[in-house]
Amino acid sequence: MGTPMPTPDKIDFTKLPIYKPEVECASRERIRAIQLARLIQQVEYTYARVPWYRSQMDEMGVSPADIKTLEDVRLLPFTDKAALRETFPFGMFATPLDEIVELHSSSGTTGKPIVVGYTKEDMDVWSECIARLAQMAGVTAADRVQMAFGYGMFTGGFGLHYGVQRIGGTMIPAGAGNTERHIQMIEDYGTTVLIATPSYAMHICEVGESMGFDWASSTLQVGLFGGEPCPPGLKTEIESRMHITCTDNYGLTEVMGPGVSGECLAHRDQQHIAEDHFLWEVVDPETGEPVAEGEMGELVLTPLDKKGIPVLRYRTHDLTRVVTDKCECGRTLARMQKVRSRCDDMLIIRGTNVFPSQVEDVISEIDLLAPHYHIVVDNETGLDRMTVEVEIKPEAFSDSYEEMKGFAGEVRDKLRSVLLVTPVVKLVEPGGLTRTMGKAKHVDDLRK
Amino acid sequence: MSITQISVFVESKPGHMGRVLGAFAENDINVHGFSASDTGEYGIVRFVVDDTQRALEVLKTMGAAARTADVLCLKLDDSVGQLQKAMETLAAAQLNVAYCYSLASTYIAISVRDIPSAEAALQSAGMAVVSDEDLAEFMVGETM
Repeated sequence: MGTPMPTPDKIDFTKLPIYKPEVECASRERIRAIQLARLIQQVEYTYARVPWYRSQMDEMGVSPADIKTLEDVRLLPFTDKAALRETFPFGMFATPLDEIVELHSSSGTTGKPIVVGYTKEDMDVWSECIARLAQMAGVTAADRVQMAFGYGMFTGGFGLHYGVQRIGGTMIPAGAGNTERHIQMIEDYGTTVLIATPSYAMHICEVGESMGFDWASSTLQVGLFGGEPCPPGLKTEIESRMHITCTDNYGLTEVMGPGVSGECLAHRDQQHIAEDHFLWEVVDPETGEPVAEGEMGELVLTPLDKKGIPVLRYRTHDLTRVVTDKCECGRTLARMQKVRSRCDDMLIIRGTNVFPSQVEDVISEIDLLAPHYHIVVDNETGLDRMTVEVEIKPEAFSDSYEEMKGFAGEVRDKLRSVLLVTPVVKLVEPGGLTRTMGKAKHVDDLRK
Repeated sequence: MSITQISVFVESKPGHMGRVLGAFAENDINVHGFSASDTGEYGIVRFVVDDTQRALEVLKTMGAAARTADVLCLKLDDSVGQLQKAMETLAAAQLNVAYCYSLASTYIAISVRDIPSAEAALQSAGMAVVSDEDLAEFMVGETM
């Protein structure tokens, strides 16, 4: 679990609006009933319209009529990114292109991009999901909302744009880049909400500070973050320096885009899943079998009413745990722990599973270290060896090898107690580790 | 009496020490003496310079991890057995030398926990301990 974050004093989350209480606060039985009715329909729809799923299901000997309970979703085939790539561009579409009103795509940094299409109904669902999470953060029709995501094929820009308009907020479509202009616009237009990646929000904050802009007295109140995972430490820092409340949401292009789940202010390391639109499963990444409720595993998502590209059991490779007890904010929708790591980030060191996010958590709690790290794994000596490079702050330096060795030893012991693996700790001078924005490369695995 | 030394945390990689020295040169800071030892990954490089305060500011601007420490500065007669005499004197007074290095061949910096006791011991052995000011004076025209 990440560092718990206090709810800012200025917002009483029990008084915030809830966009669709008849669903968001429904009983668990009611939510499951909605899910089952939609799942049955969705499987029939998908089987009838998408040849890829029809042949998969035929091969497995499963027919839509076999889906009688929510648990029967396990009879269905998984979908992974490869299936969407192989059928590029429109092979997985369930409707003719003339019913599609918008296309978006993933970045395609590792091969062909994944193209997704939305019907009018899909756009409605999407903007409603965004509207819900914007209201979780307190955004209303009275807000002026400045967009600092890029628009374009990325789902974040237009997704958030439509969602904010859904609740009647005023969109200010500034787009990415030109930081001074963003700050000027906040001042000129009285912007109250900023939509940005957390690292860009931090950049706006720093540029503002260097220009002498007083964040404490600015109109800005809320940050809606997305596009990359937001480490708890970074969020706390932005909240205190910009004097705003920040939430982030979860989503992925393959199942819709942002808005699959969103953070309410009662549990700041969790996000409410829009369960009437997405059926979630948490499975063992190795076996694909379900884990016990509340246990950590890979999130698998089935959109329940998607028309353009219906996807069954999408393997997100994101690790989380899901709880279903009622939230203090009043919502009953299940909460997933914020995703800090992906199955493919996991390192196996001498048989023990280690996640870079665990290292990040330990480092962020040591005052004398900067919040940067780099992990190198090798097996030159025959055994796996994990080296963690950490950057000392100037005040950590002492004029004694003995004391520096002692300090490195303390860091090693703290890491060992969390990782259950003993790393080699290497102290690096201030500024000595490469700064990365967004999806940082923290690990070099040199094992042969 | 002691002199002020600056210690800098430097990674053991090509160019890292040069970066510090370059910044000193650019700011007209003269190095009287230094010692660089190595634990493998990083080293503590110790400098005695002509303007400690300015050197610290330069290092701070660079974002370097640096701090000052007081060390004894002993002036040896340039003759056989002097260094041995210094070490034996400290040993006889049960004072451990954490590290020591020479500035010019006859000025050596010595780190001990208890500077006054070491100074007293050395002085009573007839050896000359110098101050920052003395050193500045002696070092004119004798810089490294």
